[in-house]
Amino acid sequence: MTTAQRTALTVDIDVRRDGFRVQVAFEAGREVVALFGPSGAGKTTTLNAIAGLVTPAKGTIAIDGTALFAGGGREAVNVPARARKIGYVFQSYALFPHLTALKNVAYPLGGAPDAESQAMGHLETLGMADFAHRYPDELSGGQQQRVAIARALAREPRLLLLDEPFTALDESLRRALRKELRAICDRMQIPVVLVTHDLSEVLALADRVVVLERGRVVTQGSPLAVLQRPGAETVSRLVGVENIFEGTVLSSSQAEGVTTCDLGGLRLEVPYAPLSQGARVRIGLRAGDIIVAGERPSGLSARNTIAGVVRAVARKGFEAEAIVDCGRDVRVEVTPRAVKSLGIAPGKGVWLVIKTNSCFLIE
Amino acid sequence: MIWDAFFLSLRVTAVATVIILVLGLALGWLFARARFRGKLLLELLVALPLVLPPSVVGYYLLRALGSGSPVVEWLHIELLFTWQAAAVASAVVGLPLMVQSARAAIANVDPALENAARTLGSTEVGLFWRVTLPLARRGILAGLILGAARALGEFGATLMVAGSIPGKTQTMPLAIYDAVQSGQRDAANQMVLLMTALAFLGLWFVRGIESPRKRKAPKERAA
Repeated sequence: MTTAQRTALTVDIDVRRDGFRVQVAFEAGREVVALFGPSGAGKTTTLNAIAGLVTPAKGTIAIDGTALFAGGGREAVNVPARARKIGYVFQSYALFPHLTALKNVAYPLGGAPDAESQAMGHLETLGMADFAHRYPDELSGGQQQRVAIARALAREPRLLLLDEPFTALDESLRRALRKELRAICDRMQIPVVLVTHDLSEVLALADRVVVLERGRVVTQGSPLAVLQRPGAETVSRLVGVENIFEGTVLSSSQAEGVTTCDLGGLRLEVPYAPLSQGARVRIGLRAGDIIVAGERPSGLSARNTIAGVVRAVARKGFEAEAIVDCGRDVRVEVTPRAVKSLGIAPGKGVWLVIKTNSCFLIE
Repeated sequence: MIWDAFFLSLRVTAVATVIILVLGLALGWLFARARFRGKLLLELLVALPLVLPPSVVGYYLLRALGSGSPVVEWLHIELLFTWQAAAVASAVVGLPLMVQSARAAIANVDPALENAARTLGSTEVGLFWRVTLPLARRGILAGLILGAARALGEFGATLMVAGSIPGKTQTMPLAIYDAVQSGQRDAANQMVLLMTALAFLGLWFVRGIESPRKRKAPKERAA
């Protein structure tokens, strides 16, 4: 086993709070685990329990084989939050408003004589050295987040917890910080647990994803496997994207505004992205954005017209979902009336029409 | 007479203010953050002197500090009709103002900040000094000044437990009453002006604390 795979964090908890119950179990190596789910799923409660801010009714929390919490009986272990050595970046960052960025980062270093120079080092790592003497309310959201991460790292944590670290930021900043955070996670070689309700965050940052809903684990595994798992209705509903394909770039033309991708037998033209040939990509496609035709259509603006064979049709509420084999299985949403008029049934040959702009790149 | 009363008042108020600070901080924190049985009852008891006639508060203190009370038996101290009794009476009457203000200021500190301090290695006492207190200090200081001003002006309860012995327990408010009763109008005028000036200063100070200038003191985080 590699170091990344060996279990570093074990969580198996049952938390009861104000009539709300969270039962979550997962393990993590030295990797990034995303807790993914809608609000109210118990994601933050799980983080708080790991950090020691909330006490579970029963269960186990252990890092590197050392119990931080165990049981609820007489033999119970419950290491207080202050002694857990866990870095926690709160959703609102929770920077101390009466302290400068530097003093915030120096906070966990206590009275060490070189506390401030150490803190300065952490600020430099996050590119925040120039803002060391500013107060939190003099910093932008992205800058506050960097200070919060620097402060969590100054704790020399055995585990890093991130609660919706990017929600307060705009899209371009989000991308840049995601990249940096990924680099920090790789360098630190400690488990990182990330709470998010954003699919692209899961795919960009996480090695593993644990999907939560109403206080329970729905499914867990590698992000792509979890998101593609057929029948994982909760997941596709949470994600809102039924088709996710992984593949490589064949060509990319800025002038034509398209990037052509090979998605393992399925060739799709997607909106232009500055990617070189051979680059790995993930493409998302909503089932409802696909048109089904009984014969080969012509004279369309849509760039993707793909032949396939229907493998299965299932009724989903007021809609019907067909799985069409086009080299890869594509899930398509149609009305029951269309199923009838086109004679969509297993074995039937159809054409799928997909607009370039319906396909989107997932980072 | 004026200056005796003035310095006695200062001494009584200083001791009362220390008591108000320590008890007020502890109770303010307890009421803002702790959950325990009988909390409401304790809150009402502490607030009671705000609405009770001072003579009633004084009567209770008289019984509590008088001979035969458990406090006296247990601690072997006789406080009645000493300036220390005046300080206790002033503290009891000034305390609710401090507690109310400190409680509100501490409750207003975002609990997420205290949680952050915990994950960063702070003990409960450590985070109180390094996070809660600095962020709540404006409300606490305002409450302390109001409590001290109330203590300085204490009349009824002080009269009950300390009497009005010139040079010994006769604080300014009592001396003013005495001066008016005995027709010493000049002395009364001077002391009234002095008290008014002190009260005015106190209120002015509280206003300054409540509306700070930009940045000199970082603002408390709302919600």
